[in-house]
Amino acid sequence: MYTAAAGMAAQQTRLDAVSSDLANVDTTGYKSARVAFRDLVYDDAQGYGAAKGVTIGAGSAATSIGRSSAQGALQDTKRTLDVALNGPGFLQVKLADGSKALTRDGNLEVAPDGRLRLSSGGQVLEPAIKVPAGADPDAIKIGSDGSVSYNNVALGQIKIVDVPAPTGLQGGPGNTYVATKASGATRAADKSTILTQGSLEASNVDEATAMTDMIEAQRAFQMASKAITTQDQVLEIANQVKK
Amino acid sequence: MERGLYIAAAGMVAEMVRQDQIANDLANAATPGYKSDRSQQRSFSDLLLQNTKTGETVGSLGSGPLITKQVTDLSPEALRSTQEPLDLGIAGPGYFAVQTDKGVKYTRDGSFKAAADGTLTDQLGNSVLGTDRKPVKVNADGTVDTAKVGNFALTGVKKVGDANFSGTAAGAGKGEVQSGVLESSGVDAGRTMVDMMASLRAFEAGQKAIQTIDGTLQQAAGQVGTLPQ
Repeated sequence: MYTAAAGMAAQQTRLDAVSSDLANVDTTGYKSARVAFRDLVYDDAQGYGAAKGVTIGAGSAATSIGRSSAQGALQDTKRTLDVALNGPGFLQVKLADGSKALTRDGNLEVAPDGRLRLSSGGQVLEPAIKVPAGADPDAIKIGSDGSVSYNNVALGQIKIVDVPAPTGLQGGPGNTYVATKASGATRAADKSTILTQGSLEASNVDEATAMTDMIEAQRAFQMASKAITTQDQVLEIANQVKK
Repeated sequence: MERGLYIAAAGMVAEMVRQDQIANDLANAATPGYKSDRSQQRSFSDLLLQNTKTGETVGSLGSGPLITKQVTDLSPEALRSTQEPLDLGIAGPGYFAVQTDKGVKYTRDGSFKAAADGTLTDQLGNSVLGTDRKPVKVNADGTVDTAKVGNFALTGVKKVGDANFSGTAAGAGKGEVQSGVLESSGVDAGRTMVDMMASLRAFEAGQKAIQTIDGTLQQAAGQVGTLPQ
């Protein structure tokens, strides 16, 4: 009975992950959650209607193993301050408390003090890039390597960083992640990663896959619950041996 | 006392073990690389009945069933695409090796992730070993070189839990390591559900047998020897 209950709990974890994915199907730069499954310990069943070597498993468990690294589709927005990352890596921003965070949400805007920041949460890019006062945002050019220029005057470089284990990143405020011990320290991203100006990276959640996953999780949940019902029936029958 | 009682009871206990195994299979119906179990049942050693007067052999009588053996179906299952570079699967036979704190174990559940030191680990953080039996490195672009990931042929394969198997590695596995795929669970949901129903009914039949024998004994104890009024 507990075996089947463990199976239900594992599927519940997956359903939670899929629901979160479906809720973020329109979130810029969102990466779907990865859930891994494993079977649990096997106990010897000897002396209980079984001979030596026969084992009974304890069900299954689910572990969250971070986020998918699949590239989201690039959506053409024609907005000069929208940048999309193509390849692994993140933009680096500064949080309110001064610490650094990572994001793939390249929807930028010019803050009142002239610095480029995320329009969703207002975190400024790190290192800061200052746009001259009164500049026409449409004349800002962002190169594929992250170099920012205005009327052919270089303003700075958008740093593209990565961590050795993106699975270890912790969710930060807004659409950001914070590097942890498990993710390793930030480093420069692979050179293959480029920035595309005028685009945003769509959520990489594939609705069809997410729905299929959800159906599979629900069915697996249902089968485990059926196993519980059956085990309950077994015990009921055992109780009725003596009428 | 009546042997039948104990035979039927042993049958019920054996069915309970089977129910537990079926529940484990169903709980792992969506676990990548899971291999399902089949239970084999046989009777305890048969008793020879002999005629008490002449010593002549009458025949044999079983003394109830016992689950003697459990066979894990290790045949490779179909791979399903996940498009995730760190989801690995082996098309065909073979096992990945992982370094656990209890020694090297083997698995076919390729839901792997990258560790902070840039190596490939399984879902519990155990290093995945390469063909050279050293931890596999994840490339800077977040992919792994599938040719470097170890694929071992195993003998004496036994499930040990946490998606792992124990066994003795003997050379390279025949299968091909692929990225972006996971192996489906080996549980055949339909068949397992049917097995569960069949086992439940067998359990119920054991209960009926006990009740019937109990009824016989009751009559023997209560009615034999009473005079009709």
